[in-house]
Amino acid sequence: MNTNINVKKDRVRPDGVSKVTGTLKYLTDLTFPNMLYGKILRSSYPHAKILSINTEEAEKLSGVEAVITYKDVPGMNRFGLIIPDQPVLCDERVRYMGDAVAAVAATSFEIAEHALKLIKVEYEELPIIDTPEKALQPDAVRLHPAGNICHRASFTNGDVTKAFEECEVIVEETYEVPRQLHGYMETEGGVVIPERDGGITVYAATQHGFKDRFQLSRILGIPESMIRIISSPIGGSFGGKDELNIQPYAALLALKTNCPVKIHNTREESIRASLKRHPMKITAKTGTDRFGKILAHQVKITADKGAYATLGPAILDFAVEHAAGPYIIPNIDTQGISVYTNNGVAGEFRGFGGNQITFALEGQMNRLADVLNIDPIKIREVNLRKATDLGPLAHRIAPTDGAALVLNKIKNIVETSNEPKSKNEWKRYGTGIAIAMHGGGLGFGRLDSAGGRISLNKEGQIEISFGFEECGQGLLSVIENLVLEEIGCSQEDIKIVIGDTSVVPVSGSSTASRGTSIVWQSLQKMKAPFKKKICEHVATKLSLQMEDLYLGANGVWKIGKEDGPCMTYKDCAKEIQDATILTSFHFPVTPDAVDGGHFLYSFGGIKIDVEVDILTGKVKVLSMDHVVSAGPVVSPKGFRGQIEGGAVMSLGYTLMEEVKMIDSQYVTHNFDSYLMPNTVDVPFETNVYAIEELYKGDIYGPRGVGEISTIAITPAIVKAIHDAVGCWITKLPISSEEILKDVESRGMLTWI
Amino acid sequence: MDLKNKVLDNPNVIDNNQLINLSFTVNEEKYEIQTLPTEKLINILRDQLNFVGTKISCGIGRCGACSIFIDNELANSCLVMAYQVQGKSITTIEGLGGVTIDEVQEAFLNEGGFQCGYCTSGMIMSVKYLLAINPDPTDSEIQEALSGNLCRCTGYGGIIRAVKSLKNKKELA
Repeated sequence: MNTNINVKKDRVRPDGVSKVTGTLKYLTDLTFPNMLYGKILRSSYPHAKILSINTEEAEKLSGVEAVITYKDVPGMNRFGLIIPDQPVLCDERVRYMGDAVAAVAATSFEIAEHALKLIKVEYEELPIIDTPEKALQPDAVRLHPAGNICHRASFTNGDVTKAFEECEVIVEETYEVPRQLHGYMETEGGVVIPERDGGITVYAATQHGFKDRFQLSRILGIPESMIRIISSPIGGSFGGKDELNIQPYAALLALKTNCPVKIHNTREESIRASLKRHPMKITAKTGTDRFGKILAHQVKITADKGAYATLGPAILDFAVEHAAGPYIIPNIDTQGISVYTNNGVAGEFRGFGGNQITFALEGQMNRLADVLNIDPIKIREVNLRKATDLGPLAHRIAPTDGAALVLNKIKNIVETSNEPKSKNEWKRYGTGIAIAMHGGGLGFGRLDSAGGRISLNKEGQIEISFGFEECGQGLLSVIENLVLEEIGCSQEDIKIVIGDTSVVPVSGSSTASRGTSIVWQSLQKMKAPFKKKICEHVATKLSLQMEDLYLGANGVWKIGKEDGPCMTYKDCAKEIQDATILTSFHFPVTPDAVDGGHFLYSFGGIKIDVEVDILTGKVKVLSMDHVVSAGPVVSPKGFRGQIEGGAVMSLGYTLMEEVKMIDSQYVTHNFDSYLMPNTVDVPFETNVYAIEELYKGDIYGPRGVGEISTIAITPAIVKAIHDAVGCWITKLPISSEEILKDVESRGMLTWI
Repeated sequence: MDLKNKVLDNPNVIDNNQLINLSFTVNEEKYEIQTLPTEKLINILRDQLNFVGTKISCGIGRCGACSIFIDNELANSCLVMAYQVQGKSITTIEGLGGVTIDEVQEAFLNEGGFQCGYCTSGMIMSVKYLLAINPDPTDSEIQEALSGNLCRCTGYGGIIRAVKSLKNKKELA
């Protein structure tokens, strides 16, 4: 396992000791005096009318303190980050198995669960829509007032019809991807505490505390100022806890009972109600001239939205934007549609539509290289964007040569590595590569507030604060490392404050690979005025020259006087009235009015070796070589961990994971039927190379790397399988049976 | 949670005689509680005794987040019932280090063997167990020993490096 990042130099992450000793209290570990336990009754059918809800028996059960239905929602009985179309508690109709119908607070989880069984709901079943195709039929039942189309997105440039006529080679394929589970180890949960003023304090994981506060305010009908959200630490999220989950129910129950209420989903409850990665069908038709230059690229994306919108529209926009990836394509026509069904709600998930669309794009590149008999790297070189080219929506982006740097490094890795050799007559070996381009931030036209705060607090600590959450991604390390670097103080001087709406500034969401960018950019804006405020005071006080002073360990130092600070931070804090610097800005965005268009992009490349067993059709990934261009590495171990972890998550997506539904009902309920990679499924041979240099004149600093490593894995594995046994996979997760069938049909098994 | 509440915990149970007196040690401290014989050990640890370092994730013995030792044997505490630990000695993550940090915990810190930390307690217990019975594991022995512990964050790279660093340390010693 190699890397060019200096991992050993890295400090232990700030939350490290508490995590390895088990002393860190997650929000689902909390208990409070007089705390009640909540459970949520979910729909019995994927699609039905609710005729009546009778809670009498449940209310009578000893130990039950409250039962709530839609009648108990004082404000807007809806939630959803973009379109609030999901009922908190359904009144007339249920649209998927995860729809909430009632909730109970009781003195134990067991009593609450028993009470759910005593709630009688009369349903009238309605016909189910279990595929986007059915939803799009003219006579299909309308799942929402405006119909079954949640969102359309498109991008057209040039004339594909005409361009296809000039193509030497055209490849057309339909790619199908499944519903993936985030698989965060800590299921959704937390505690809501009613406050004396009628407000609440919410201890529950989310990726954007202020958005939870806003949505809860609408639901509860109380001002945002009466709601405090404590949202960190989190036992994994990957996008899955971005939307509200248990918060509204715990909040309603807490206000009704005037007691703290805890809800902590079991894994089964979590799978039933939680978001998943969007299943998509993507048809791509791509034509080139005889040298492999792409002349035309036509893409149709159909996304299975499930019952409600959440961030689905933005995910479709993202997929449409990234349809051309890092390539310059003169004629392109991408049409996307996101369609409501009665299936589980699909939503935000690490990669945000990039994984799906890149499977199709890089799949096309690899197929074209094969048909044209060109090296897969060569065909990419022919089409690759240059540093100052426009972005994929023909919009201006921050100049970057990341694509070329990544591809060059991948080329170098391929050239210098040994081809895997067969040790067994039934094993075949192959190598595949793929690259990806990924936008950071929310994109043009979306409110993408960023900012942070630094101050010298009363205890003499340098307090740095962001409205972010620590989901495991290592944000605390990023903050600590950047403060050390930019301010110059020591680790002991720093106090980090995040994840509590009552004390943090607005930084936006802990999503979209934006955290690292924002921490760095905020510090660039805050460091000079902060240093000035403190040094000015010390200079006046001690009659020194401002220019001779700098911030160091434990206090303000004078140049040339190395035996200690001339004034400690503690002493400064006693005397300086207010050394707070706040910054607030918009995440860097393209100057062109292109909806959803990004400005800062990162790049990733992967080379994968696989072994295919032609007797069983099983695929084993033997090695992974990652190349990432996302600016300077801020937190070495964190960076490496994000790249390796993201890749394995996508290895699972490619080879084993699917939350299966039949007739809009989940048939996958827990980790016995949903298999995520374990130590046996991952290669020990994983290498991570960071390309740290930014394009000349780039002022935006390090980019986040939460998503980039997940994007190109699938097409690289698929190419490696093709290299090994000659079959092209179009559907995930890759089926051993399909490989076997293909291998047999081509006579590779000699006895047949 | 006191005994009175515990009886209420399961509304299907009306017979107080079903409760057993359970006597066992957790991290070398003796506990005597009354509980249903079928109560899951994970619930006793987390809800009754407040050892919340041990985590619950799948509840069916598939993820290893609730791994603990019973008489020095590795077990998923979500699959163990109260009566099965009568008189036994239990070790949780809280019992590993004591005043200082255990060497396995140290290795996880240095090698980046965790991110969100939710699988970490269980993972560290499994590594501890592996190295106790096999101080010099091969790659495939490491894979097999940890295959019952799921981690969604790290992709296992940092975890494997942590185990190998301990192995190398032993070789150098």
